[in-house]
Amino acid sequence: MLSPDAFLFVAVVIFAIGLIGLMLRRSLFVVYLSIELMLSSVNLILATFSRVHGEMGGGVVSLLMIAVIAAEAAIFLALIIYIYRITKSVDSQSITQLTHKRDEA
Amino acid sequence: MIWDLYLVMPLALIFIGALFLMLFSLVQKVELANYNLVTVAFLTLSLIIELIIFQNVEHDYLFETIFAKMFIVDKLSTLFNILFLSGAILTLLINNNYFKSRDYYNGEFFALLLFSIFGMMMLAHTNELITAFISIELASITLYVLVGYNHHSLKSSEAMLKYIILGSLAGVFFILGVALVYGVVGSTYLGDIYTYLAHHQNDEMTLLIVGMMFMMVTLLFKIGAAPFHSWVVDVYIGSPFPVTMFMATTLKIAIFSILLRLFLVDFAPIYPIISEIIKAVAILTLLIGSLLAISQTQLKGMLAASSIVHVGYMLIALYAISLGSSFAASAIIFYLISYFLSAVGAFGILSFLASDEEKRHLSFDDFKGFAHERPYMAAAMTIFMLSLAGFPSTIGFLGKFYIFMSAIEAGEILLAGFGIMIAFISIYYYFKLIALMYFYPSANPKKKFPFSISTLLIVAMALMIVWGGIGTGLIPFIAGADGLLTIASEALKTIGK
Repeated sequence: MLSPDAFLFVAVVIFAIGLIGLMLRRSLFVVYLSIELMLSSVNLILATFSRVHGEMGGGVVSLLMIAVIAAEAAIFLALIIYIYRITKSVDSQSITQLTHKRDEA
Repeated sequence: MIWDLYLVMPLALIFIGALFLMLFSLVQKVELANYNLVTVAFLTLSLIIELIIFQNVEHDYLFETIFAKMFIVDKLSTLFNILFLSGAILTLLINNNYFKSRDYYNGEFFALLLFSIFGMMMLAHTNELITAFISIELASITLYVLVGYNHHSLKSSEAMLKYIILGSLAGVFFILGVALVYGVVGSTYLGDIYTYLAHHQNDEMTLLIVGMMFMMVTLLFKIGAAPFHSWVVDVYIGSPFPVTMFMATTLKIAIFSILLRLFLVDFAPIYPIISEIIKAVAILTLLIGSLLAISQTQLKGMLAASSIVHVGYMLIALYAISLGSSFAASAIIFYLISYFLSAVGAFGILSFLASDEEKRHLSFDDFKGFAHERPYMAAAMTIFMLSLAGFPSTIGFLGKFYIFMSAIEAGEILLAGFGIMIAFISIYYYFKLIALMYFYPSANPKKKFPFSISTLLIVAMALMIVWGGIGTGLIPFIAGADGLLTIASEALKTIGK
């Protein structure tokens, strides 16, 4: 059996990739994928700890998490499609009304 | 079993109402006002049951045989539920005119609002971290949709985009914190975590403290405290008025319900570590919030930024809790109630005016001479501003008074002085509006007072604020300001360890 450290290490790497992707990339799809990646790494942490403790609790929680992630995905994808229909772009910089034209409102 | 069913009734009613409205929103013939009416009916029924439950509940677990100790029912959760429900009722009724004036509202809006309330009520009942995460997500995911509800406006969509990206990121940190806590303790029940913390030394549980800090980050993000405040102003400006009102008041109370429970139960053994962080966050929140509020040109933006400042005051009391102040927790609840009354009123007037005239009454300049145009509304607005600024004889003054009292009781006189200084600064941006309303001539002729449910409620809330400030004890059998504080401290006593 592999030691839990290996799984935790993988989880940390995935989490870091997600966080960096969220901060650096501008495409809304990549931003969304980064958030999903971070959530999945947390799932891996939960499953690993569940194994360490020798009980099923953490595994069940990671299943519940997948449902929550799916709910978020539905709204996120709907928003991305809506923004694409209006601006013809999925770049997060394409929609900047609030930052530049606040005074006109 | 019957007792449990009775305790779960308010929650179940809201859930059934949400499903009912979701199905009925497919029917095209129903008028919008009727949806509003049905929603308010469900909320009121639930509120009445909560008020009865509040009299005779002490400390119970919901369906202990099925859910173990996931859902707790005590006076604190019931009190918070009463606040959420009354917040939702007021939001819906005050915005009655606004809903009619815009064409993008439909039945689903009310269904989503009820789901959000359901999430918040679950959050108040939660005694376990996974349930807390799911209810926070339930409350937030519905709010993401509500923020972007104005599909004619790109600004609304942009606000939704900002909120959903940053909100999901905050959610990730919460579940990461939960995962780390689970890894150390092997359980996610608040009671188990407390027992673990109380029986171990600090240097044995670095991972646990890191996990709890991650959870704290999320909660501070959701209430809009300082290092995590960047979304607040943009999202509040971008979203429709009813949603802004709902976020600024009800959601904030909901997050404080879990924050207080976590802080009073779980964080108690690690107060020495966390208290300094809370102090720094409170000072930063007050400073940055004031700077933001001064620089706003739109009223909605000013109210949004000032809501950051109000969070800062409550964080002072949170810091006082960690130093052992006895009534800081009830001061927070009292402040939440006072802020809630004033903010709902102020946002209510804005939304009422916006429902009349499409583009006007959003910036400070539009309010020049407002008192000559609509004297009663201007008087109500003045009362709300005075209360937000903490002027004596309003309920806002008493709220600030209790907060600073708790800081002084904890021995933090400098911090209380700093808070009072920030309150003086806040007079600038609140009184600017009052001065603009009264000291300029009006371009438009005087208008009659429009009698509708929105305006009558606004006036009633203005009266409540004044009554809460001075009329305490004048009317027998109805709780005044002191009574509210007593109720809050009574509710806090039932919190389980």
